[in-house]
Parts: sequence; structure tokens; C-alpha cells
Amino acid sequence: MKGCDRLLKYISRRLLYTLVLMLIVSIAIYFIFDWLPIDPARLNCTKQCTPDIIEANRHRLGLDVSVMEQWWRFIQGLFHGRVYTQGAECPAPSFGYSFNRHECVTGILAEAFPITLSLALGAFIMWLSLGISLGVIAAKNKGKFLDKASSVFVLVGTSLPTFISGILIVLFVVLKFNIVNPLELGDWHNPFIDPVGWLKTFFFPCATLALAYAATYTRFTRSNVIETSSEDFIRTARAKGLSEKVILRKHTLRAALAPIVTIAGLDFAGLLGGAIITEGIFGLSGLGRLSVKAVTETYDLPIILSTTLLASAFVVVMNLIVDIAYAFIDPRVRQS
Amino acid sequence: MSLKRLTVRSVIASAAAAAMVATVVSVGAAAPASAAPVTGGTLYFYTHSEQFPNIDPQRNYTGRDIAFFNSYVYRNLVSYKPVAGSAGSSLVGDLATNTGVPSNSAKDWTFTLRSGITWEDGSAITCADVKYGISRTFATEAYTEGPTYAIAMFKIAKLADGSSAYKGPYVKTGQDLYDKAVVCSKDGKTITFHLNRTVGDFNYAMTYPSFSPVKKSKDTGDKYDMRPFSDGPYKIQKYKINDEMILVRNAKWNKASDPFRTPYPDQIIVKFGMDEDVRDMITMKDSIPNGINMDGLQPANNIAFFENPKNASRRANVYDPYTSYLAANNSAGHLDCLDVRKAIFFAFDNQSLINLSGGSTYYGQPGDSPVKPVLGLDYAPTTGNIHDAAWKIEGNAVEAKKYLEKAKVSCPDAYARATDPAQGISYVRTDTATSKKVAVIVKAAMDAAGIVVKFDYVPSGSYNGQLENYAKKYDLIGSGWGADWANASTVIPELWGEGCCNYTSNKDTAAYPAFIKKVNLALVELDRNKQAKMWKELAQYGMDQYWYIRTVFSKTQETWGSKVGGVFYWEPQGNFGFGALYVKP
Repeated sequence: MKGCDRLLKYISRRLLYTLVLMLIVSIAIYFIFDWLPIDPARLNCTKQCTPDIIEANRHRLGLDVSVMEQWWRFIQGLFHGRVYTQGAECPAPSFGYSFNRHECVTGILAEAFPITLSLALGAFIMWLSLGISLGVIAAKNKGKFLDKASSVFVLVGTSLPTFISGILIVLFVVLKFNIVNPLELGDWHNPFIDPVGWLKTFFFPCATLALAYAATYTRFTRSNVIETSSEDFIRTARAKGLSEKVILRKHTLRAALAPIVTIAGLDFAGLLGGAIITEGIFGLSGLGRLSVKAVTETYDLPIILSTTLLASAFVVVMNLIVDIAYAFIDPRVRQS
Repeated sequence: MSLKRLTVRSVIASAAAAAMVATVVSVGAAAPASAAPVTGGTLYFYTHSEQFPNIDPQRNYTGRDIAFFNSYVYRNLVSYKPVAGSAGSSLVGDLATNTGVPSNSAKDWTFTLRSGITWEDGSAITCADVKYGISRTFATEAYTEGPTYAIAMFKIAKLADGSSAYKGPYVKTGQDLYDKAVVCSKDGKTITFHLNRTVGDFNYAMTYPSFSPVKKSKDTGDKYDMRPFSDGPYKIQKYKINDEMILVRNAKWNKASDPFRTPYPDQIIVKFGMDEDVRDMITMKDSIPNGINMDGLQPANNIAFFENPKNASRRANVYDPYTSYLAANNSAGHLDCLDVRKAIFFAFDNQSLINLSGGSTYYGQPGDSPVKPVLGLDYAPTTGNIHDAAWKIEGNAVEAKKYLEKAKVSCPDAYARATDPAQGISYVRTDTATSKKVAVIVKAAMDAAGIVVKFDYVPSGSYNGQLENYAKKYDLIGSGWGADWANASTVIPELWGEGCCNYTSNKDTAAYPAFIKKVNLALVELDRNKQAKMWKELAQYGMDQYWYIRTVFSKTQETWGSKVGGVFYWEPQGNFGFGALYVKP
């Protein structure tokens, strides 16, 4: 019970830190946005960019008050919702209103997140299963054909940037063999309602992302397994007469995979923030494309703020999950 | 100088200028609609863009989108005739039975509403709807993207800050002023606009959807930009940014009440957010034969596509409505010396810049005026500048040096600024790879002439919004312009006068008061031929002053699938004649 209490206390403390971090990140974004040499109020007026129209825009965008006031309004909106100009009203929890997309940001995020989650999760499963399997096979066949073949895979995977592999997959696999209608390339299909549609649209983007990651994980797993195999406790297990299968499953992998869990957690968290290039190539309307457009074209503060907060939250939460997972994988951590 | 395809307006050539409009040039000319159009099928459009910038009629100010939505979703009092060639520049009554009747020296304009015109819910379109729609332009607290001709032209007082005393239908301040300026007759059949000055071509302004009706009960404010209520042959079934727009037939649209729209496809789908490589592949391989590429192809793909004779029937290479220009800052401490401006002009290596953009076949050619030949009546080749015997398309450093020598005497300060390595001419450009290639070419040409040029790169996303500030800070600034309709009244006053986009700082010169006086006289001149003569003289004057160091008459390329019929280039809108498109069986 005591151990469980300690764990709960630990999680609570980490969640509190996460909350504080989110607040700091949100304030920082407002100050950075304010500091940028860009005036969104000017971007929204076309021909007659007169001072009064620019001011009207500034008011409409909520940029006519101090940075801290803007931030405070954002915080209030999270709990009470916000009312903007004509027809623009966002109920709590309001992450703001995008005047470029004429929609409450909460709704925009709710639509973009499942797409990014689908992509990240699909890729995560692919690269972990492929990367770890190949890594173990390579390690167990060190110096043999299978090891060399996995090295080729690693070389190809790591040297092909996603924007090359992605476009090659789209042009020379997906479209060439009419696997997906080019006009339906980025369509979203809910995997619980239309699993076949989802698979058709998301298999290749996931594979594109997984290719690069799987190569790295293959290399990493291979070296970890080889290193762990030469440890004393493995030699002891072997001396005890345990079969190689049991040694691999119960001892080698357990030790070799612990550091991989950390990296995988962070990689996954990073992808949840948006796989920008892959989403772009496959026309997926996920968080990555959403944030890139907001940052580079429309200077849409509510979207920039929300996607950044989400990305930070993913990283912090995944760190927490990794730490907890570590406790289960490694008894030494649990005890400490 | 980078002219964004979607940020400028459409251009027209007036019917009066028909004979002079001979500027549409084709490599593989737009296929005329020879076969009989077919009704039915789904017509696709695809684009890299994630959305239409604005589709609310009062906020729509993009040539392509005006043409698209005017063809399919909403109607104006007056529209351009949707036919190929210069005939497409003539006006026809749309919701109105006529193209407007001027009175009181064209300070008042009256339009008569057609009977049988309806909204998508079957209710009649009334004069009050037209009046309400136009009033939304004044609601600058809510919208600022659209054209503001109503604010500029209506007889409504201006406040000290230059804004209108009428604040739109939501705030309602000054509503009485608006009600006096825009009057519906008692029977609701006619609407009269009272203007603050003579506007001989006011009916051309009416072709903008900012003058089209909106049903008050359907006005959803900011969200109207996602779902305008239709009075055209199609209505919006779905519009999702970064996904698609689906237009389906508007069952309440009545062909008898519409003199020219021909809605052939059963359904129109616009797919957004396509990767550029995927989009180009669809076009090149003709993967979606009933589809139209709404963007241009990427440069390398564009050349490959246009040089393949197999694609001759599904491409058009035409002069677009836009003129790109490089403005000189004429204010003191900048390029306030004609000889220095001429030296820069002669030094410019236009050939290399055109080559960089894909060659004159696809990019265009050096121009001699801010007014493009497509304006017909108001354009005449100017003398001097690119017609000067000493001008060379690849640059003439010797001639440039001659003018620098002159400047040494006529304006030593400006000469020093242009030649001193510690100072130099400042040139602002967007921070892109192409910009940096341009800089290398320009610098080499200027170096050869002994002119020092220094580049400052700014974020491309904020460039257009900051032009006004940049124009005061830098010596050279590039942008582009397309006339709003076939009258240089939408070019010269805007670019060199009191309009929106005068980046020359010519107001600081001694010649400006006389110039602007002539501009104002031309604006109220009702004799169209006399007015055209005045515009030509003013264009000549500005070019003689080298307010623009460089102009380019640019071209555009359009591509479509093999099963798309009825394609023609709609000159006044600078885009497809969307309404005539159909899907071949």
C-alpha cells in the first residue's frame, strides 16, 4: 500500500509540474508572438489597409490589449468560453477562435487530433514491431546474412528522408497501382467505423513514418541485445540451463528494451505534436499541417498556441508514462 | 516582385476596347467549346491551397474565386458575359434587368430588379436583401477583406480618421446616412445608389460580389464565410477547410430568371490541400480526366507539360491580368534623383530574371506601363523606358554609367548613396530561395554599372501586409497589380495617386500636385475616349519619371483533364469561364 501511495503521490506531483509548465509555455508563446516582427492585423486586410481598418482588425483578433491581458482572456476562455465578433462564440473549454478558419479552435483540434493520433499510433506499432524484431534477429545472427540484410535496411531507412520516401511511396506505389484514388488520398476514415477505408488511407503514411524510425530502432535494439547478451546475469542464466528462448524473452529483452521504452515514448510524443512532412505529402489534415500553416502563413495565434500546448503536453505526459512504465519493467526503479 | 496568384484582383477589357484587346496569346490555345455541352456528371477541381481565402460575397476579393462563386453560387446585380474573347468583357444584367442607368452626371445610378429571382429556400430576393448585403462592407469591425468601393463611392460622410460615418448593419451607427445613399423604390423594384462624385463606370464596380445581396435572416456573421446562402444554380452542401467543398444543384434556382448561367455538371467538388507533386502528377498523367488543376504546375513540370504536344487540348498559356512592378522610393534620402533611377533601370538584367522564372514563353515580358495592354482603350505603348534605343533586355551598364555621371552633377547626394559601398541602394525582398537567386542576378548587373545594391530579406508571409511600411524604409520594393475593371481608374490612381498601393512616395516630389490634379480630372471624365487619352498621358508621365524601375506583363498557365469540356479563358475575370465547363461523356 505504501508503495502504491508513493506512486500516486509521484504521479500527482508530476501532473502538477505539467500544469505549471503548460502555463509557462502559454505565457511564453504570447510573448514570442508579440515580439515577432509580424502584424496579423495587417494580414487580414487586403487593398484598403488604412490605419482604422488595421485597428479594427487588431480589435477583432483581440490583439489590442496587453500581452498579459490577452493571455488572461485565453485562460478565462478555457473555463468560461468566449464571445468574439459577429457570429463567433466558443463555449468552454475555449482555446480561442480562428478568424482564418471561422471556427472555434477546440473544434479544429478535435478534428485534427484523431488524424494525427491515427498516424502516430499506426506508425508507432509498425516501427516498434519491425524495428525490434529485425534488431533481435540481427543480433542473434550477428555477422551472418540476416544481420547484413538488416544493415542494408538500416542504411536505406536512415538515409532516406521522409519527404523523399513519402513522395516515392505516393507516386510510385499508391498512385501508380491505383491503391487509392488521388483525390481521396487525405480523406479521413474513422477506423472504428470504416477500418478498410482507414487502412487504405493510413497504411502508407504510417509506413512512411515507420520506415525511418524502424531503421533506427533496428540498429538500437541490435546493439542493446548484443551488449546485454554478454552480461554476467545472462551467462548465469545460461549456466543454470535455461533455454535460449527463455533467456531472450525473460532476461535479455527485458534489459535491452528498457532504454528503448524511453526513446519510443519521446518519439511517439513528438509525433503526436504532428508529423508535419508526412501529413503534408499524404494530404492529411492533422495537427502538423495545422500548426505549420498557422505559423508560416496565417499567423493564427489561437492555433499556434493550442497546437504548441498540446505538443508540450504530449511530451510531458509521455515522459510520465515512460517513467511509470520503467517502474514495471525494471524492479530496481520500482524499489527506488 | 513576386506576385501572388491569389492576392490580386481581376481585370477586364471593355467592349469598347474590343478591337484593341489582342493580348491573349497561347502556346496550346484554350480549346474552344466546339462540341455540344453535356449535362450531368461530377466536375472536380483540385488545389494545393487549404481553402478559398474568403467566400462570403462581401469578403471575396480574389479574381479566381469571384469568377468561381459568381458562376455557381451567388449573383450580382450586373455580371460579365461568360463568353470567350473580348465579348466576355461586356456587361449583362444579372439580378437586375439592366446594366444600370446613370443620372445626375453619373452621380446617381439606378438598377431594376428582375422578377422571379429567388434564394435557395425559395424566398424572393428583394431590394432590401441587396441593400443589406452591400451594407456589410461597412462593418469593418467584423470584416475587412473585401473591396471597399461602397465606402469610397457612396454619398456618406467621412469621419476625421477617414472612416465612414456609417458603421454597418451590426453596429448601425449612421444607418440614416446609408439609407439616404442607397434607396429602394416603394415597390421594391429598383435600387438607386447616390455617389459622392461622378463615377462613369460604377456599373463595372457592381460586378464585384461585394455588391451582391445577403438575406439578413441567414447572415451568420463571420461564419457566413463558410456557408453563404445561395441564389445561384448551385448551393454549398459541404465546405471543410483542408478537405473539400461540394456544390450540388440549387433546386430553387430558376433558369428563366437567369439570363446566362448554364449549370452543366450535377455536382462540383473542390479538393483542397493536395501535395504539389501529387497534384502535378494528376494533371500530367490525366489521372482525373474530369478534373481541373486550380493552381499552376510547378516550374519544371509546367515546361514538361506544355512542351508535350499530346497535352495540346488541355492547356492554355495566356497573359494574366496582372502587372508586376518594381517601385522606386522617390522621397528625399532615397531615390529622389531621376538620373539615378534611370541608371538603375538601364542596368537591370531583365533577360536573366525572366530566364530564372522559366523564360518569356511562360513568365511574360518586360512591360512599359502599369496599365496592361488587356485594358485596351487605356493602354498605349509608352515612349522611352524599354523602347529607348539604349535599353537592352540583358542590361546596359554603359548607359547606366552615363546616367550615374549625370547624377554626380545633378544630385550628388543620391549619386553618393547609390555608389558608396557604405551606403548603397536598399532592396527589400521576401526571404525565399528564389529571391536570393534574383538578388545574385540583380547584384551582378548593378555591380557592372557601378551601383551598390543591398538586399534585406523579410518573411514572405508578412510581406504583402507590410508593403506600406517597407515602401517608406527601402529604396526598391516589388509588388503586382491587376485592374479591378477595364478602366485605368482602377490602376493609375491606386498605384501612383491617392489609392491604396502607392509605394513610390511620389507625393514627396514637386511634380505630384499637378499629377494628382490631372488624375482627379480623369476620374470624373465621362467621355470615355477623352478619359482614356488622359490615362495614357498620365501613364507616360509616370514612366518618364521612372517611378517604376521595372514592369513585367506576366503570363499564366492553366491545365485541365481530357474529359473537361467548354474550357475558355474568361478575360475579365482572368480565369476559367467556370459556368461553361462540363463533363464530357
